[in-house]
Amino acid sequence: MGRPVRAETIVLGLCVALVAIAGLAPIAVMGFESVWHDGHFSLDHYRELISSARFWPLFGNSIQLALATTTVCGLIGVPAGILFAKSDLSLRSGFMWLLTVPLVLPPYFVALGWARVVARIGTIASDWLFGFGGCVLVLSSVFLPITMLLTFASILNVDRRLEEAARLVSGWPGVLRRVTLPLSAPGIVFSLVLVFLLAMGELSVPSFLRYPTLPVLSFTQFAASYNFGAATAAAVPLAAIAFVGVLVESAFLRDRDYTFRSTGQTLFISLRHWKSPLAALMAALCFALVILPLSALFADAFSPAAMHEAMQRAGASVVRSVMYSAVAATILMALGFLLGHFMRGGRQRVLSAFTLALFAIPGTVLSIGLVRLWNTPGTWFIYATPALLILGYTAQYCAVTTRLSLAGLMLIPTSLDEAGRLSGAMWARRLFRISIPLSTRTLVFAWLAAYIFCLRDVPIALMAAPPGGDPLPARILTLMANGAPPMIASLCLIMAIASLIPLVVLARVIPSRGITG
Amino acid sequence: MTYIEVDRVSKSFDERVVINQLSLHIERSERLVLFGPSGCGKTTVLRLLAGLEVPDKGEIRIEGQIVASSGKNLVPPEKRNVGMVFQDLALWPHMTVQQNLMFGLNARGVKKREAHVRVREMLHRVGLEHRMDAKPHQLSGGEQQRVALARALVSRPSILLMDEPLSSLDDERKGAIASDLLGLQSQFGFTLVYVTHNQTETDLLASRVCRMRDVQPAA
Repeated sequence: MGRPVRAETIVLGLCVALVAIAGLAPIAVMGFESVWHDGHFSLDHYRELISSARFWPLFGNSIQLALATTTVCGLIGVPAGILFAKSDLSLRSGFMWLLTVPLVLPPYFVALGWARVVARIGTIASDWLFGFGGCVLVLSSVFLPITMLLTFASILNVDRRLEEAARLVSGWPGVLRRVTLPLSAPGIVFSLVLVFLLAMGELSVPSFLRYPTLPVLSFTQFAASYNFGAATAAAVPLAAIAFVGVLVESAFLRDRDYTFRSTGQTLFISLRHWKSPLAALMAALCFALVILPLSALFADAFSPAAMHEAMQRAGASVVRSVMYSAVAATILMALGFLLGHFMRGGRQRVLSAFTLALFAIPGTVLSIGLVRLWNTPGTWFIYATPALLILGYTAQYCAVTTRLSLAGLMLIPTSLDEAGRLSGAMWARRLFRISIPLSTRTLVFAWLAAYIFCLRDVPIALMAAPPGGDPLPARILTLMANGAPPMIASLCLIMAIASLIPLVVLARVIPSRGITG
Repeated sequence: MTYIEVDRVSKSFDERVVINQLSLHIERSERLVLFGPSGCGKTTVLRLLAGLEVPDKGEIRIEGQIVASSGKNLVPPEKRNVGMVFQDLALWPHMTVQQNLMFGLNARGVKKREAHVRVREMLHRVGLEHRMDAKPHQLSGGEQQRVALARALVSRPSILLMDEPLSSLDDERKGAIASDLLGLQSQFGFTLVYVTHNQTETDLLASRVCRMRDVQPAA
């Protein structure tokens, strides 16, 4: 008699199957079709792409943009994360939340805001904005929170006893340099790799600021020229770079996967006379990167006429956006929690790397794959419905909920589950009676994060939404071509409110932790 | 002159009084064991002496110098010449055994050659010279204990604070490490303040015992 299949194995299989259907299959189909031409193997699309005069300059532009954005985010985000985690900087919590705002909005909002600002300044500023410089400025504002928040979280996760042991023999610069930063390095490097890959695959900002990059080419070939082969061939290098990026990150993390028995927060950088200048600098940064562009964007948004027109032309998109995001967030929360549960204790590393690669793959690439996979007469029930969009969100963002769930689960002592096992409880019972009740905050956090990511998504919303069923970010982009600026501003404001409400809830959910020392 | 003086020190965490008006005198080269039940504030006393916590009220003096007074740390931890062995040992996982020991010497500006000699001597003294390139997770529990002890002593502190470091070991290993510790103390002459709730450890190490009880919240 064979061994009975355990419930745990079945659930893991179902989760893996969902990730494979949503993410692996589209990428595989896309890769296959890029080398399959007229019924036989062919590299024609790649030959055409590589030999075309446009490919290499666009590839170079994408790399340059990603490198410059990563450098700016590293230079500002890492020190900011350190200051917020370890110093007595005034208003640090307020600065941190303010700098996080651009991340929860569709990336082109900041670009749109800057366009309004430079429209009032003149041609020279406009020339600068609509090009490489503007793209770096906007993408740095949007992705800065990633380096800042991951640095902040990594530093807070360092066991405070390790810092205290160093503090007995060294001042804070030595402790920071030799203990805190090396132990936080995996998180910081991860944030930089992530920013590089996200900047490399960003579509809406370079497209709006008219800076030609590979994702823009891929999208144009797909949406304007209907040339799937060329669009796929342009997308494959982006997918390959995403996978290489995740491999590099995994290689760096090998032997650096530190697990701490206890965590705690120790304040040890006393800024003294630097306190006011640094607070002023941080306030200036918040003003330049967040307040100035967003206030310019929303300046015209409050007129009743504009708001009325906005709701008339895109009211249904608002409802759809919230609904699709809520459904996807619920699926992602459940999937992420289960995957996190399986990955606990360093298991399922391949699955973990794969979900991360799906997060890093540009949305344009994933969407092309989804359309190619499901656009058949037999699968019309997925292709022509919001299911395609939900699948896209699930593939792209399952790494977010998985990692958040994993981080939450790591804080629960394994002995609690072991005690349940010793008392005879099966896996499902332990999951529902021990793990889930102890993880309610983690689950809420994961749902909100997934909701925000789905709501702000542009490429999947643009390319995978059913006909006549576009979500708000895609609708705004469409209306921008011929809509009045106040109406666009009102739509952006509605979108911002829909995104920021969960952020406010998030701020309430995360308890304020007192700093001692 | 009394070497360490704790003078009417109080400490609370989130309105929970952990230490209330504690006074304590410790002589040079003494081996004082703070003995008492869990939660009575023993570890907090060590952390106050190390400078990792600041007393809410009262003063702490070392060799007559006020190092902490009512809400202020006047001498930071790295200037107190204190070594500490933490309950969970707190060995830096990204550093080798040698690097764990070198860190403090580098931070104190000891020349590289001399630092290497001192690290080798200390590792030889605790029987771990052959493990100097190992990372903490590659060591056994007993070896980790000895590295933590060596790391605390390599900077030649005048005070060694130990927070129940032997609690996870069996009696035989406890005896071996306690014997090592006594040998090291007679060699280096440091003052030992040792926290435990275990009578065997107290019997092995103490030249004087200070019994602590749970502190009742101040009225």
